[in-house]
Amino acid sequence: MRPVPRTLELFYDVLSPYSWLGFEVLCRYQNIWNINLQLRPSFIGGIMKDSGNKAPALVPRKGQYMANDLKLLRQHIQVPIQFPKDFFSVILEKGSLSAMRFLTAVNLEHPEMLENVSRELWMRIWSRVSAGLWKSSGRALDDFLTFPRHVFKVMILPSPGGSTVSQSHPSPMFSSFQDEDITQPQSILAAAEKAGMSAEQAQGLLEKSSTSKVKNQLKETTEAACRYGAFGLPITVAHVDGQTHMIFGSDRMELLAYLLGEKWMGPVPPAMNARL
Amino acid sequence: MRPVPRTLELFYDVLSPYSWLGFEVLCRYQNIWNINLQLRPSFIGGIMKDSGNKAPALVPRKGQYMANDLKLLRQHIQVPIQFPKDFFSVILEKGSLSAMRFLTAVNLEHPEMLENVSRELWMRIWSRAAEKAGMSAEQAQGLLEKSSTSKVKNQLKETTEAACRYGAFGLPITVAHVDGQTHMIFGSDRMELLAYLLGEKWMGPVPPAMNARL
Repeated sequence: MRPVPRTLELFYDVLSPYSWLGFEVLCRYQNIWNINLQLRPSFIGGIMKDSGNKAPALVPRKGQYMANDLKLLRQHIQVPIQFPKDFFSVILEKGSLSAMRFLTAVNLEHPEMLENVSRELWMRIWSRVSAGLWKSSGRALDDFLTFPRHVFKVMILPSPGGSTVSQSHPSPMFSSFQDEDITQPQSILAAAEKAGMSAEQAQGLLEKSSTSKVKNQLKETTEAACRYGAFGLPITVAHVDGQTHMIFGSDRMELLAYLLGEKWMGPVPPAMNARL
Repeated sequence: MRPVPRTLELFYDVLSPYSWLGFEVLCRYQNIWNINLQLRPSFIGGIMKDSGNKAPALVPRKGQYMANDLKLLRQHIQVPIQFPKDFFSVILEKGSLSAMRFLTAVNLEHPEMLENVSRELWMRIWSRAAEKAGMSAEQAQGLLEKSSTSKVKNQLKETTEAACRYGAFGLPITVAHVDGQTHMIFGSDRMELLAYLLGEKWMGPVPPAMNARL
């Protein structure tokens, strides 16, 4: 009989780029390691407030470092992450409350869709590549990041009145986003539909997002992260042999493997190792 | 003909536990990878001031996290690091200026001893397993005196400013010079990324010694 899978709780917020990186690495390993990955949508604003910490980008050199770091990690971890042009207004001022409430609603009603919808929301803020095409094509990340400039220019023209997805472009391969705003309902709905949800489903969940049930659930999840000692996100909580380990960031996955007694094969493990 | 080794500059301060971890991992790899590891004693207090950053332990949960993190990393990275009981008085109040000036003097006069002496200082603050660095009492005394000369003070200042120009907001930072590009990497937990940038093989924080180049 196979040993009981170890539970890993990943607390994350789509506002957090390193949350996306940690998420993708753990999603890759969930079919390789003997783990039960539980996604926990959380609100990073609440964690910052409760811990007395501040967003790293408020220290100018940290913001600069993050921009360079993400450029390198994009290649190394093979996730199409890019620093949005209007980082400060999208990220720091508008915040992620509606998006994380939406994901909380998804988790309550359609947990099997949580991974895909979370990914689409990250794509909207932190990428110019469509998640569906990236994941389903199986192609190397370079193919998406080095597309011809003239195609890119056509695709990202914003339409009057706000940023929307450009549907008419010569290339059949891409649909791209212009650092989409995740605070607008239409934007959240678009992400949900990209993830495979019907418009009705998505609308229903959006409505549920403002109920006390969902608001309280997000609050509880965020408080749980705080009780584990979070001062930021992502945090991975590993339950191993009666012990609980809280690991911060997306750069301790090799240490996590060590704690689980599992093999670390880098951030892009070979797919053929996947357990069927 | 073997390719030219890549220069890695490690800016560190013995006040910084993660500097010790990064230091040990890079010391292990200096005989495995085709690199030229240059140790750069720096003053973390100066970097914090210049960047507007604050010591992580000032956020209580970060301090708590660091204590647990170091416990786990001790096993994983195999470095005998322990959170000192009087962390706040030793680390935050007394600071590291004299220690880093001393290491700067060592680097100027006896650079071949810098690795051992740095390790010994870390051992004294962050471990209970302190050993002798192999320096005679006279040598040590002489260097201690040199530490307060303007030459040494200025050298430490320059090294710290160099780290700031690379964009440091804390320590350790590893600056890798690869194919005409310069990459500044913060912390001790990006060594696998560093290997990727160097086109070298990452074999974990405790690489097998038999891979060592003779």
